[in-house]
Amino acid sequence: MSENERAARNRKITKIIMWIVLLILFIMIVFPFIMVVINVFKTKADINSHPLALIGKHGFTTKNFPKAMKKMHFWRVFGNSLIITLSSTVLTLLLSAMCAFVLVRNKWKACTLLFTMMIASMVIPFQVLMVPLVSFYGGLLNVLNHRLTLILMHTGFSLSMATFLYHGAIHTNIPLELEEAALIDGCTRWQTFWKVVYPLLTPTTATVAIIDAMAFWNDYLLPSLVLTDKSLYTIPIATQVFYGTFSTDIGLILAALLMAMLPILILYVFLQKYIVAGVTSGAVKG
Amino acid sequence: MRRRTAAVMATILVATLGATPVLADELSVFNSKSEIEEQMEDMASDYSDENDVDMEVYYSQDTVAAHLSTKYASKDPYVLSMVDAKDIYSLGPDHALDLSDQPWVKDSSQIISIDGKVMGFPVCIEARGVIYNADAIKKITGEDFDPASVKTLDDFDALCQKLVDGGMEAPTGIMKEDWSLAAHYLQEVYEEREDPSAFIKGLHDGTVDLAKDEKFNSLMDTFDVLMKYNYAKDAPIAAERETTEQKLAEGEIAFMFGGNWDWSVINAYDYSENMGMMPVPQNTDDGSNEKLVGGGSKYFFIDNSVSEDLQKQAEDWLNWLVNTDDGKDFLVNTCALVPAFKTNTLDVSDPLGKSVKSYADDDKLIANYNYDPDDHYSVCGASMQKYLAGEIDRAELAKEVEAYWQGATLADPAVTGGAAAGTEAATEAE
Amino acid sequence: MKRNTMSYKVRQFLMFAGIPTVLFIGVIIIPFIYGLYLTFTSWDGVSKAKPFVGLSNYAAAFSDTAFWTAMGKTVLYSAISVVLVNVLAFLLAYLVTSGIKGQNFFRAGFFIPNLIGGIVLGYVWKFVFNRAFVTIGKSLHIGFMETSWLATPAGAIACLIIVSVWQYAGYMMLIYVAGFMSVPKSLIEASQIDGCTKSQATWKVIVPLMRASFVECLFLTITRCFMVYDVNLSLTKGEPFNSSVLAAMHVYNQAFTYKNYGVGQAEALILFIVCAVVGVLQVQIGRKGEVGA
Repeated sequence: MSENERAARNRKITKIIMWIVLLILFIMIVFPFIMVVINVFKTKADINSHPLALIGKHGFTTKNFPKAMKKMHFWRVFGNSLIITLSSTVLTLLLSAMCAFVLVRNKWKACTLLFTMMIASMVIPFQVLMVPLVSFYGGLLNVLNHRLTLILMHTGFSLSMATFLYHGAIHTNIPLELEEAALIDGCTRWQTFWKVVYPLLTPTTATVAIIDAMAFWNDYLLPSLVLTDKSLYTIPIATQVFYGTFSTDIGLILAALLMAMLPILILYVFLQKYIVAGVTSGAVKG
Repeated sequence: MRRRTAAVMATILVATLGATPVLADELSVFNSKSEIEEQMEDMASDYSDENDVDMEVYYSQDTVAAHLSTKYASKDPYVLSMVDAKDIYSLGPDHALDLSDQPWVKDSSQIISIDGKVMGFPVCIEARGVIYNADAIKKITGEDFDPASVKTLDDFDALCQKLVDGGMEAPTGIMKEDWSLAAHYLQEVYEEREDPSAFIKGLHDGTVDLAKDEKFNSLMDTFDVLMKYNYAKDAPIAAERETTEQKLAEGEIAFMFGGNWDWSVINAYDYSENMGMMPVPQNTDDGSNEKLVGGGSKYFFIDNSVSEDLQKQAEDWLNWLVNTDDGKDFLVNTCALVPAFKTNTLDVSDPLGKSVKSYADDDKLIANYNYDPDDHYSVCGASMQKYLAGEIDRAELAKEVEAYWQGATLADPAVTGGAAAGTEAATEAE
Repeated sequence: MKRNTMSYKVRQFLMFAGIPTVLFIGVIIIPFIYGLYLTFTSWDGVSKAKPFVGLSNYAAAFSDTAFWTAMGKTVLYSAISVVLVNVLAFLLAYLVTSGIKGQNFFRAGFFIPNLIGGIVLGYVWKFVFNRAFVTIGKSLHIGFMETSWLATPAGAIACLIIVSVWQYAGYMMLIYVAGFMSVPKSLIEASQIDGCTKSQATWKVIVPLMRASFVECLFLTITRCFMVYDVNLSLTKGEPFNSSVLAAMHVYNQAFTYKNYGVGQAEALILFIVCAVVGVLQVQIGRKGEVGA
């Protein structure tokens, strides 16, 4: 056997081992999710007594879906969630990338101060801000109950982390020479950023987009504080009618959960491509 | 890029600015009883159509106190809020409207007054005791089950043994939740005596020796028997509430300490026909083993800062609930609650509620003690859980409960001084 | 171009960071300062009166043994979780970027746990711990699996760690994947031309360039673990006997359930400071030796 063949065989074996490890991890990690899928097609009594059974004593049922949709006014809250998530995510992506750019490339005092405060702010427990936040914006300024207020607040809260992620990406992966070349070619800083730097940040943009979109889509506490008018409810606030202190209709919760997570899953699969494709093509130019 | 960005931003702004602000004349109702949320919403939409008001019902997953504090912080209170008795005492003086002039005041013994002003409107009556599954018992003993036959602990122990001998693996279940153990069960140690306030003060001052207290020992003796026959004896702390209730509903176990609110859980399963509630069996002759413990549960108060027009609408709705046929029907038949007003004579539909109603009608309810400090259920609940798990014995449990009360800040007006409030509390607790 | 004048700096800063700064100050700094003020009052969260009490809330917080016990447990829980989450997440990221068959499918799968949140998460895992494991344990006579782990204090913390690792590994994988992907292909190719094997390329070329990803993931896991609340609430609710109450849950209970708003707020600030010191130190140390591209 030649050196090459042996190496090829070894590579193959490594691949297979890796694949098996992945599969085991995959089953472990997906198991609870499978539980959700199995149980959504059962009645409450069956979910509780035979959670592992594929089909319960009372038979296969799809009733949980229409019932959940009706109870939570699905399409209305879905629309609200969509507007709010999309707007907040786009705003966060643009603003935090800009912010990170100026913070990485300059050693001004204001930059250091802002960045330090942002990092520190990521560890403030939300409960600390909850009551002061509503006292200020509700009690004093009376601007609660607008989608825009929630969008701006979402953006404000997520800016720190998004900036932090962009900061790392710009710092490590964007060659300074690239920008200098652009500046020499006559671009302004603003143009350099949008034409040269931002496209190179695509993998980070995709990552931040998923993380933030998911956080906004699933957030309960902040929207519940800001949006008290029922016509503005988002999906997580609407599903709370299924949670009770004394009785929890788990079938409806699972149905709502599955319907709610679908858009994010699609977004994730879609953005995956950009995470893969991203910088590899851009970096060649550099 | 820049143009595209600007276009996106502009779209967002247009899309979001279209949002309408809340209507200031909405009759908002906060409902903290999740099991009737759907019924409340349907009622609100019918009621709004018929009475030309804009009634909207809200519910929150958050605790009542946390939720209302954010609402008050944003100066956007509900017109009507449904809260627990203790919340009326904390919120009432600042935020509740005086309802003393309302016609329903004379028709209930469960109304809450503070400083001579009526502030809390009782939504329903709820009581605690032992829930039994008569069908499951009959299946083994062959005889109809008469709850009056197991008044004493000895009778109860004998019956459980008989069930075990007859093939029922474990006749009892115990909810391990801290609120059930401390706020509902241990609570009866304070309530089943002449003067709960004095007893609490004694605990606080360290003059009560709990380990030697007759009532404490009597109730803990019963708890020991419940533990002895517990289906989850091996891992009592892992027992899930839904599972325990399902076992009770389907007759796998026969007894569980609980309250009539448990019906909303039980009725989701294939429940047995004949179920009911009975007093906690005890070897005592003080009469407490013939009574359930309970009274008014969940109270409405009207916010005093909203417009007079809204206050009037809220008062009208409360009157509708008490005095019209529709309102009575809604409370009893639609929501399956036990009415707290004597003007409402409709028959209660669920079996546990029926038991509670009959004890209430016979004047066999021992009153709730509503002045526990807010952390009582959590701290003492942890001690009760340790006892349930066999981590500590009865003497240690008594020590921990005593230590809790000695360090607690009392909230009972009868103890803390307020003379006027004290008499008020006494009359209200009847 | 005059790049050193004050007005240039101000204009640059405002152009790029103006709106973010305003939003950041608006939603975080202002409420934070107001919250700070509330720690000097004995407000109960609902009354109109907010009596000024000076430092007594801090005194109460420092002598609140339950808080410090919760803090201790949080540190322990965080230390173990942070290590496990990052090891697993890095491993996952490595495996799903190594060009294996079906890697996109795996990536989607590993990410799914993040989509199950709140009470459902607690319900599903409670079932796994209370019944699935116990059934397996009993039928196979595995001693430590015959009773539910959630029923013992140490077991409950272990369960919290397991669920956190399960939940965050997929999330952090995402960041590590982005890290792997950001390493220019040309560098890897160059190293392989220079005679590196694939694993050498991974350890000597890619990993050092991923320093930023490590710093980010460590920071995120540390802070998330220190402030964990949702999982704590939905999985254990602090049971058994309040032994699994972690710091954030204690703070929440103190402020809203026990209605000691000021004390709760003061404890939250202490939690914040501890967490901020650990997190910022970690970032500072991590950034120091960073490899710039």
